[in-house]
Amino acid sequence: MSDYAISTTALTKRYGAKQALNELTLSVPVGEIFGLLGHNGAGKTTIVNILTTLLEPSSGTAVVGGHDIGTAANQVRRTIGYLPENVQFYDNLTLGENLMFFARLSGVHQPGRRIGEVLGFLDFTGHESQRMGTFSKGMRQRAGIAQAILHEPSVLFLDEPTSGLDPQGVAKLREIIIDLNTELGMTIFMNTHLLAEVTKTCTSIGILSSGTLIYQDSVAATLASFPDQDSLEDIYLHIEAGQRP
Amino acid sequence: MTEVLVLARKELTDLRRNRFMVVLFVFLAIAVVLSVVVAAADFRLKIAGYNHYVDALTAAGSAATAPAPQLFPLQMLRGGIEYLEIIGSLFAVVLGYSIITKEKGRGTLQLIFSRPLGRYAFATGKILSLALLWTVTVTGLFLVITATLLLVGNAPLQGGDYLRLGLAAAHTIGYLIMWSLLAMALSSLTRRTGTGLILALVLWLIVVLIIPQIGDTMDPDNQIPGGLFASLQVDKSHEQAVMAHFTGYETTRDLIEQTSVTKHYERATFAYLGIKNDYNQKSLGFIWAGTFNNTLWLLAGLITSIGVARLAGTQKIILRKVP
Repeated sequence: MSDYAISTTALTKRYGAKQALNELTLSVPVGEIFGLLGHNGAGKTTIVNILTTLLEPSSGTAVVGGHDIGTAANQVRRTIGYLPENVQFYDNLTLGENLMFFARLSGVHQPGRRIGEVLGFLDFTGHESQRMGTFSKGMRQRAGIAQAILHEPSVLFLDEPTSGLDPQGVAKLREIIIDLNTELGMTIFMNTHLLAEVTKTCTSIGILSSGTLIYQDSVAATLASFPDQDSLEDIYLHIEAGQRP
Repeated sequence: MTEVLVLARKELTDLRRNRFMVVLFVFLAIAVVLSVVVAAADFRLKIAGYNHYVDALTAAGSAATAPAPQLFPLQMLRGGIEYLEIIGSLFAVVLGYSIITKEKGRGTLQLIFSRPLGRYAFATGKILSLALLWTVTVTGLFLVITATLLLVGNAPLQGGDYLRLGLAAAHTIGYLIMWSLLAMALSSLTRRTGTGLILALVLWLIVVLIIPQIGDTMDPDNQIPGGLFASLQVDKSHEQAVMAHFTGYETTRDLIEQTSVTKHYERATFAYLGIKNDYNQKSLGFIWAGTFNNTLWLLAGLITSIGVARLAGTQKIILRKVP
C-alpha cells in the first residue's frame, strides 16, 4: 500500500454547465486527520461522495486505501467508513438492529460481538434495544460513527460531523475522532465549517474554493506560516481572499 | 446473495413496525372478509326465499318443481376479488412507492451504497421483501377467507375447491407484487418522489379502472347500468340482431380489455372460482384451456415489473436524485 490513504489526480465533476470540482489533485498521507475547509457550495460534499464511490467523477482518477474508485469500487467500500452529514437511520428499528443490518451488509464476521466492541469503544452501551426514532442528534451522530467503523475501515470519511451538535456533543465527537486516529490508526478525512475544531482535531488541512483546491498543508505549518494571524479562521479568510503567506 | 437477504430482512422488519402499512393491510383484510360475510348472508336469503317459495307451492298443492337457485360457495368471493383487484392494487402502489421514497427521504441510501454491494443487490432485496410480504399477506388473507366461507357461509368445500382457492391466491399474489414493483420502479426512476407516485397512480387509474370500465361498458352480455345496449334500451334479442352487423365489435372490445392486466387477473380468478358462469363446475383442465392466456399475460406483467424494478433500482439511477 502507498504512503497515501487518499490521492486524487485532476478529479473533475460537472453537473451540466456547472463545474462542481475542477481538476482537483490532493494527497492525504496514511494516519492523518485531514480537514477539508470551504464555503457552502465549494464542492466539499461532492468530493466526499466521489471518494466514497457514491458519485462518479466526470473525469480524473482517485485512489482510496490503495484501490481505484473507478475500477475497484467494492474494494474501496471495504476499506472506508462513511458518516454523511445529518446521518439518518431506520427509526422503526432499534440501535442494535440498525447496526446489525449495516454490519451484515459490510460482511462483518460475528457482527454481534463486533457491535458490542464498537459501542464499548464509543462509550455508548445500553442503548441497543432503544428505537432510533427516540435518539437525540448527538446520539444519532455517535450511532453514525458506530455504523461507519463496524467493519474496521482504514479510512474514515466524515461529512460535517459536528453539524447541529451542542458544545458537549462537539467535544465528545472530537475525543472520539482523535481516539479513532490514535488508537485504531484510521486515516480521517472530514469536511467541516468549524475552524476552531479543525485546530483542535486535524493534523492537516485543505481549502477548497469553487471546486478548486487552493491550499493544502499541515495545521502546524499553516499556523507557523501566518504568524500575523490570531486564529485559523483568520488564516482561512486570508487564503480565501487570495493571499499567501 | 447474502446482502440481498440482509436487505430483504431489514425491509420486512421495518414494514412490520410501520403503523400506516399495518392499518392499510388490516383495512384491506376487513373489507375482503366483510364482502364474503355479506355474500354469505345474500346466499342464505336466496335459499330462504327459494325454500319459502317451494313451501308455498307445496301448501297450494302444486306438483310443479321450481328450479333451485344456482349458488356455488366460491362465488361468495366475487366482492373480495374485486376489492383485491382495485383497492389491493392501490395499496400495492402505495407500498411500492414508499419502499423507495422512505430511503430517499431519510438519506439512508448513502449508508447502504457505501457498502460493498452487487449492482442489483439493493433492488433485488426490495423485490424479495415485497414478494415475501404479499405472499404471506395474501396467503393469510385467503386462509381467513376460507375459514369465513366454512364458518360463516357454511360452505361445503371439497378438495377441488381448495385448489381453486389456492390458484386464485397465486394469481392475486402475482398481481399485487406486479403493482408494487411498478410503483417501486417509477419511484426509483423519477427525480422527485412525488412524480413517481403520480405516474404510478395514473397508470393504475388507466389499467385498473378506465380500460376495464370501457370493456364493461361495451360488453353486450353485461347489460350493466350505463352499458352500451342497456343505455340504448336494446333488449337481448335485438342486441344479437344488431351485433350480427358488427362482426368486429366483440374482437375490438376484447382487444381493449386485453390491454389491461387487471382484466386478465379478473378473468383468470373469476374462472377458477366459478364466478364466471361459463367456467362454473368445470374441470381445472377446461378452465386452464380457456384462461391460460390470461395467466400468461399476468406472468408477463410480473416478469416485466421485476426486470424494470431491478434495472431502475441501481445506485447510478437512484442516487442521482438525492440532493
